[in-house]
Amino acid sequence: MRQGLAIWLVCSTVLLSGCLFSPREPEPPGTGVEIDYLPRSSPANVWSNLEKSLFATHAPGWEDNISLIEFRYIPDDEARDQFPPNTFVDWDRAREVTFINNFYNSNVTNIAKMSEDGYVFPPAAGNEMTVEDIIYDLKVINNVDGSEVRYRGKCDVIFRLEGNFWYIYEWRDLQGESDPDSGTLLNTMGVLRGTFGSQ
Amino acid sequence: MKRVTGMSLVVFALLAVVAGGPEPALAQEEYPPANESVADSLETGMSAMDQARIIADQYAQDPQVEVTSEPFIQGLSNEPKAGALANVRQFTYYGDLITTLKFQNNSTFRNTFKFSWEEYRKQDKTVQKKDDNFTYGLGSNLPFVFTMNGAWNWSEDRTTNTAGFANLSKRDQKRAGLNAMKSNFKTGFLNNTAKISARIMDQESVNQNQRNDFNEGAIDGGFQSDMRIAEGARIAGRLYGMTLEGDRALGNSTESSSANGDTVGFGVYYKRTIANGRVAVTRSNFQKKYLDFKRNTNGLIDTVGVDEDKKVVDELETNDAISYELENNFRFGRIGVGTRLTRLTSDLDYAQSGVGLRQKEQDVMDLSLTYAVGPDSFAVSYDYLWRWDDQRYKNATENRGKQYNKARDYEFRYFRDLFRHTKLNLRYHEGLSQDIAEENAQGHRPNENDLDRHQADISARLERNWIGKFRATMVFTYQQVQDLNIRESRSSNNNVKDSYELSPGYAWTISPLISLDQSYRVYIQYTDFLYSNLETVNRSDDYSKRGNLATKVIIDPSNRLKITLRHDYNKRFSATKTGVDASGNAFYHRDLNQTINKIELAFRFVVTQGVTLEASTYRTRDDRENFGTRDTTTRTYSGEMWVGTQVRRRWFQKNPLELSVMVRKYNAFGPSVTETSSDYWEADIWLKWEF
Repeated sequence: MRQGLAIWLVCSTVLLSGCLFSPREPEPPGTGVEIDYLPRSSPANVWSNLEKSLFATHAPGWEDNISLIEFRYIPDDEARDQFPPNTFVDWDRAREVTFINNFYNSNVTNIAKMSEDGYVFPPAAGNEMTVEDIIYDLKVINNVDGSEVRYRGKCDVIFRLEGNFWYIYEWRDLQGESDPDSGTLLNTMGVLRGTFGSQ
Repeated sequence: MKRVTGMSLVVFALLAVVAGGPEPALAQEEYPPANESVADSLETGMSAMDQARIIADQYAQDPQVEVTSEPFIQGLSNEPKAGALANVRQFTYYGDLITTLKFQNNSTFRNTFKFSWEEYRKQDKTVQKKDDNFTYGLGSNLPFVFTMNGAWNWSEDRTTNTAGFANLSKRDQKRAGLNAMKSNFKTGFLNNTAKISARIMDQESVNQNQRNDFNEGAIDGGFQSDMRIAEGARIAGRLYGMTLEGDRALGNSTESSSANGDTVGFGVYYKRTIANGRVAVTRSNFQKKYLDFKRNTNGLIDTVGVDEDKKVVDELETNDAISYELENNFRFGRIGVGTRLTRLTSDLDYAQSGVGLRQKEQDVMDLSLTYAVGPDSFAVSYDYLWRWDDQRYKNATENRGKQYNKARDYEFRYFRDLFRHTKLNLRYHEGLSQDIAEENAQGHRPNENDLDRHQADISARLERNWIGKFRATMVFTYQQVQDLNIRESRSSNNNVKDSYELSPGYAWTISPLISLDQSYRVYIQYTDFLYSNLETVNRSDDYSKRGNLATKVIIDPSNRLKITLRHDYNKRFSATKTGVDASGNAFYHRDLNQTINKIELAFRFVVTQGVTLEASTYRTRDDRENFGTRDTTTRTYSGEMWVGTQVRRRWFQKNPLELSVMVRKYNAFGPSVTETSSDYWEADIWLKWEF
């Protein structure tokens, strides 16, 4: 009986693989933009890849740089208080993937600068690095109604070398920063996560 | 702001039950605990289904009161506690006072007061908080459960950002409520539970010079009834309703606010010898009227360039949600079959927000098959998720087009005892997830992000365990991940990643004093860009390899002393494909050589009972050679050392006094270590007294 079951299972696995798990045939490259992601051989490259992903609204480029083993996002107090109490509790890779896909699928154009001019990333060293006080700036243009919302925040990010590559292990937003043009206080990307992560 | 002027009443009616109701214990297993009031839970931004579930679940909850069957106790106790926390980010000083008054018949009053002051090391930021919460339960003085509760939450957050913008975020919130519940009372052949609660909430807050105040009152109640229809089978119906009224002030606007909702649920629950499960349907509706900032079609606050008097709108949010659930777990001998099917639908509509109407549907199917016998066991599972959401933006004449997400996963696990103390564990997994943007009636797609992700992985783990002496493991893993953008505008990035990992290791207890743990890992990943052969695509295939040898020695020379030594050696290469010859041999250009050495030493010494000294240090050397248009070689060092102590003491049997101290002093160096993280204290110190 066991042999029969095992054979049945192997056969069904092969059949399932061939039928249910076949991806669609992609269209050959045409007019699109090629995204020159950097090798994830340093935290600086990983952080830079997020900027490229934002420009291209290309979700795999974001996901590839988020730890496969363990990831957590910790919002700043200001962003946390704008959402229901448990919105950011246990924010892990799965929630980050949901957020970025919902965000990119919402028909937006992004203008991103993930670190300020003159900010120097420390060279990669060891297996884990905390990079502090990164100030990022993101303008989200809604292609439906033309509205523009800008986010600017200061964060600490922990990078880890997992397997062959560096990944973001923890993203902690510290505080919103001021709009360099108008001086008004802007929200961090925690507000984006809170909005799109729970849709 | 005017105060609450009135409240509607909720009328409850028992849902007609044709036959039977769920066994209470059986039914209640399915309901998650709820700790918040309905009104608190009904927050803007929460999905309709979540709100529906919160409303529905209020009923099956145990009340938030301790009802014990212990003998009569009467007394007063106080537990003051004061402490300080320190870490690389902040200092926190805090004090708590818990007061408990116990009366006759398990009637209890409990008050918790908390105060804290936080000062941030790296930021110009301070946070002060004061919280007081009380609950009063009448125990068995009444023929039903009755509790009162109240809370006061006060906080003041002062933050000055990098540009010197100082913001005050201040909140003063008060809540008070009454709850009554009667469970498991009989009316004929029905077993019933009823609950009613009322609460008032008052908040004054300011943030970025914008006030956000409200003063609201809410009442809600529900009724659940169930009956037995056969041995191990029950049928249940439940009804819930809530209403809320009050006033809100946001920015410069003031307006009345309200919310009301109802939920109807029905289910059959069974638990028989070979099967258990349930069939349940829940329908929920509610609407909420409140002030909100102007939002764009994505639900983001968008007030830039908007006149001051138009920044705040009087929002009306309505939800209509329904869920169906079928779950069955069947066990026949050694075979187990699990089935779970759910469907959730919701319509969420905003009168003012640019979001407009958002519709969702989600279907989930989880199937599992297990077979356990003798040395062979296996488990097979298949999960399927199919969901879509659509949206009709405010003032739009047609929907934007459905956004689908489909996912399916198949997993097969096999376990076998090969020999004595030797186990084999095999796993095969395959999954496919798809994002699909459907064209709307006018042929427009919401986005160009159609994407398929296919993942297949197989792993084998062999383990031999000479119990208490030696354990050896060997793990092999292969994984393939395909990221396929379907649209031509994105498909130049399509790639396939093949990863291999081989990791043998052993743990050897050489003697009671020394143990040795060593593992070796090899990781290899190849990335193949599917269209790298096209002249228009400037992507190059590559690979990355890494070897890691980790060695750990633990020395336990005595019961008081433990020493741990650890060494990690990493060697990493990465290379880019430069071409392929006529016979198909690929050529790669080495981009990076990297070697990382890390050595760690830690010790722990028990000075006396309750007092421990600890220290740990590591040092890392990182050598990198980058080969490109200009070759570079770098060597960096980083390291850390901390020393500390832990003390845990308790004095007096009666009215005990307890002290807990954990103090560590950190020093670190390295390229990413900043001034604040190079020299700091980590501490957790508190003193508690009970009288």
